Amino acid sequence: MNAYVVEKSSLHILIDRFLKDYRIFGPTKPGADSTFEEITSIKELHLDYISTILPPKKYFHPPRETLFSFEIKNGKIKTNEIKKDDKIILFGIHPCDVHAILKLDKLFSGEINDTYYQSRRENTVIVALNCIETSEHSFCSSMGTGPFLNEGFDLLLTDIGTKYLIEIGTKTGNSLIEGLNLIPSKQADYDEKEKRLKLMEKKFKKYVNISWQSKIASKNINHEVWLDLGERGGVACSFPCLSCGSCTFVCPTCYCYDIYDTMDLSMKSGKRIRELDSCQLLEYASVALNQNYRQDRKDRIRHWMMCKFGAAAGEMNSSCVGCGRCIRICPSKIDITEVAKELKQR
Amino acid sequence: MINEYTPNFIKIKEIIKETNNTNTYVFNLSKETLNQDFSWNPGQFMMVGVFGIGESAISISNVEKDYVVNLTIRNVGNVTNKILNMKKGDSIGIRGPYGTGWPLEKLKGNDIVIVAGGMGLAPLRGVIKFVNDNRSEYNDLEIIYGARNPEDMIFKYDFKMWKKIKNCTLHLTADSITEKPLFECQTGLVTSCFPNMKTHHRNAIALICGPEIMMRYAAKCLETIGYGDNQIYLSLERRMKCGIGKCGHCQIGRKFVCKHGPVFNYADIKPFINPL
Repeated sequence: MNAYVVEKSSLHILIDRFLKDYRIFGPTKPGADSTFEEITSIKELHLDYISTILPPKKYFHPPRETLFSFEIKNGKIKTNEIKKDDKIILFGIHPCDVHAILKLDKLFSGEINDTYYQSRRENTVIVALNCIETSEHSFCSSMGTGPFLNEGFDLLLTDIGTKYLIEIGTKTGNSLIEGLNLIPSKQADYDEKEKRLKLMEKKFKKYVNISWQSKIASKNINHEVWLDLGERGGVACSFPCLSCGSCTFVCPTCYCYDIYDTMDLSMKSGKRIRELDSCQLLEYASVALNQNYRQDRKDRIRHWMMCKFGAAAGEMNSSCVGCGRCIRICPSKIDITEVAKELKQR
Repeated sequence: MINEYTPNFIKIKEIIKETNNTNTYVFNLSKETLNQDFSWNPGQFMMVGVFGIGESAISISNVEKDYVVNLTIRNVGNVTNKILNMKKGDSIGIRGPYGTGWPLEKLKGNDIVIVAGGMGLAPLRGVIKFVNDNRSEYNDLEIIYGARNPEDMIFKYDFKMWKKIKNCTLHLTADSITEKPLFECQTGLVTSCFPNMKTHHRNAIALICGPEIMMRYAAKCLETIGYGDNQIYLSLERRMKCGIGKCGHCQIGRKFVCKHGPVFNYADIKPFINPL
């Protein structure tokens, strides 16, 4: 399809156009860190961000949501589904996060659909932004999920100096910029993009070889690395895991959730709520009669790492995209790339 | 699009008392009450919920004709405690059935060994009924059922009938016996019945369900007798929130217990349940 360019100084024409029909969520920088928030003008947008603490997963699979409310009247129960279908644009999300969304799409569909996720996903337009800077933690190039994107976007922006190259991925994306009188792109713009991609690939400091990862992880379920990580002294200068669950909450492909009911004070109505859960927490695998299938910390950290290596039930739909958020957030400085290396070496 | 998370409210049609803390609840899951056609395999489960408390996974213990479904529930947690205090006519939130069930096709032409412990007999009762209904397609049937004591056994009223099934042997065993029961029962664990089995491992398939520790030992003992890993099937218990392979809680290895199981071939899950 055709591609266009837009001067950085006139990017506001895109935003102003999108705001007519959509709510826009994009990277902002309220303090020291970047975060995805709703924006109402170009001024709030901070496109030169490296990474955010929380992934854009929060717009499809929110940390907490009400599935339905229920009312108990005269012994009869009535349920009301609560659904809000705002049309939204995710503006300026990076390739790793787009890949994570593609993975979650597969996980929440299949034989049985998750209607809540699906309806939000259908109402979302993705305007992605290729990375031209890397954080010290990310390793998307070795996971095949970055730094430049090939799929999963409606529109794709690439910073090529004073301009953004705009590539179109879908019909929705095309209709978004129709009639804006953008300048058609030239070969020189593509060459500039290619040059930046080559430069970018040299900037990564972390690498993982994923071809053997899931095989090695499931072969060695009693590997001593897990004992080191969970109980003894950690791996590659890290401390042992604290089971805080931070890695799971910042991970763009972690999908596990809990469902519970809350009752109103009157005890006549209530809500069924779904909330993100973490496999690192002790209660995650506990069942009646005080049984727990992952009692030891080493079992829990192993489960998470296996899941990220694609060797758990989520298969490749919950595997790592190399965004590096877990490495950055871990209070014990556990580094998944170092664990992968140790697994192979020992 | 159908929303799988909203349960249907179904009235308890009848309550059958099994033990002190266990009842069998009878529901009518016709198309009118369930909003969809009910079809099932023995070994599948339903998500049963009480509003304000939560949901738990309960295996289907029998389906009589006209979609009359039995769920056998023991009081072990918050949801089941509430259900045990319910009366005939009260409504329960039900969705399902979920999971895959026992490999009834593979059992054809083989001897069947059923090993159940405690509540583990519930998902296997459907198999016994199915085999009895299609007796000519299956070879010998051997039922080994153990419980803590004879009073804790469920479906006691079925034992007589099971004994009458052609080419069927019933072994009942209890960890301890205080009062003499009304039926023949020996003392010991389920594994203590294995030397007295009439079926030979050569063309037998074992179906095991019970507490996980019992399943581990039963599977190991069967292995030493000569059973191959692929001749053993287990029905697992895990924490479940969604029942449809999305919430992640029930993962074992590369499988979701709710979606790919709860019945698994021993060979597939051996590394994940064996570290004792």
